[in-house]
Amino acid sequence: MANKSFGQKLLGVWNTKTIVAVAIGAALFGVLMNYGGIPVFTNTSLTTAMIVPVVVGAMYGPVPALVAAGVGNVIADLLGGWGLWFDWSVGNGVAALFVGLLPLYGAYITEGVFEIKHAIIYMLCCVVGNGVAFGIVTPILTTLFYGGDLNVTFLQALAASLGNIAVEVIIGIPILFLLAKRYKSRTNLEEE
Amino acid sequence: MNNKLVINYTPGPTFLHKLTGFTKVFSFLMMTVAIICTYDIRLLIPLLIINIFEIISMKPDYKPIVIMFAITFVTVTLIGNIMLFVVSPNVGLNNIGAENIIWHSTGRLYLSKEFLWYMLVVFIKRTASFASVIAFALATTPSEFASGLNKVGLPYKVCTIVSLAYRTIPDIANDFINIRNSMMMRGVELSKKASLWKRLKNTVLILVPLIFTAFGKVGSIANAMDLRGYGKNKKRTWYAEREPSKGDMVIRALSVVLGLLALYYIIRYRIIDPWPAKMWCPWVKYEDVIQINQIDTIFFMKWFKK
Repeated sequence: MANKSFGQKLLGVWNTKTIVAVAIGAALFGVLMNYGGIPVFTNTSLTTAMIVPVVVGAMYGPVPALVAAGVGNVIADLLGGWGLWFDWSVGNGVAALFVGLLPLYGAYITEGVFEIKHAIIYMLCCVVGNGVAFGIVTPILTTLFYGGDLNVTFLQALAASLGNIAVEVIIGIPILFLLAKRYKSRTNLEEE
Repeated sequence: MNNKLVINYTPGPTFLHKLTGFTKVFSFLMMTVAIICTYDIRLLIPLLIINIFEIISMKPDYKPIVIMFAITFVTVTLIGNIMLFVVSPNVGLNNIGAENIIWHSTGRLYLSKEFLWYMLVVFIKRTASFASVIAFALATTPSEFASGLNKVGLPYKVCTIVSLAYRTIPDIANDFINIRNSMMMRGVELSKKASLWKRLKNTVLILVPLIFTAFGKVGSIANAMDLRGYGKNKKRTWYAEREPSKGDMVIRALSVVLGLLALYYIIRYRIIDPWPAKMWCPWVKYEDVIQINQIDTIFFMKWFKK
């Protein structure tokens, strides 16, 4: 991962392995969206699905993370049958792009590199990404597509992004550390 | 888990089920464009009725659809409108351009006729969109969806992602349920008995093995695909794509007409002779509409003015 160019880190290498990984990521996103909620109050739950772009981004780059979240969200909507809301799908895709930026600032999970400074940058990325996605992109699309009121949309977006940031930071960082640790034990093996 | 899902993995017997993947994807896209581009209730109601007829014609199992509709109704429409009423009771004025107040309480809460009209229009629009998605999900199998997307113009690698993801969802859902059950048996508490912080921490214990089992399959699936020559050529053909029948041609032609109508509507009523407000309303006359910039209605915009 470290010796790849900037473009390759951003776009990912689209070989068969990446395609399969993105597909599995999308499926995981769909499953977690349908079953993996953490109940908070009655009727409200934190979705753990936003962990998927973090993992896909860490292993394959931000654009695969975007595709996994976007496709995963569409599939989850179709499977669950609660209607397809493009405003939120696009918003999730944009948020996924930001949280999946890990290789770009040197956190190579597959080589076991993930340190405190990466965790801090990652947290900033989560906040900025959710801010852009649910503070700008989703409200604009909601107003354009479905005629929602901007004030209400901003409130909903605020709730959604706070939940997402909580999940991405509180669950995401331990998972990233665990993944890095697990991959580190394998790094002395070299492909010949 | 299967009773919860709306989508079919095997094609059904009715006319709409038998259409090719491209026809389904194309007509769904045109329907979505038509629903998204208009706020005119005179157009939205026919679109809603078409979609409801489509659903009825497929003779589905209504139970999951009704449950889903009820959930969407409560979360989006009911709670959404209560929030709307509390946060911005002036949406009627913002979107329709007039205000006839019927009920005024103390403070800034009030109910206008236009607020109710706005509620109705948005409800019809969201329900039409919901019905079109359900009709599409009922009619389309994952392979048809992927082949249709490819024919619409998406690169086939993305289409593979779609069909592969569909195919692995039952496996991953089973893994997830197994891991969760075994973790619960070992005493990991995930229900409301534990505190929120503890629940979040315990979720990590489930997600880590789930991620490892799910992504552990990547290598073997990718190798199997590579060995069968996947991704060698620039194009590929699909098992699910058939020769179009007469019915396909009719539906495709109707979808083109629908798309053209949407385009005509946008050009005629949004660009050449635009209605001054966002939504048409039967009792508001053209001359009486007050135009309001949507951006000015955001609550934090007034902090920037002065």
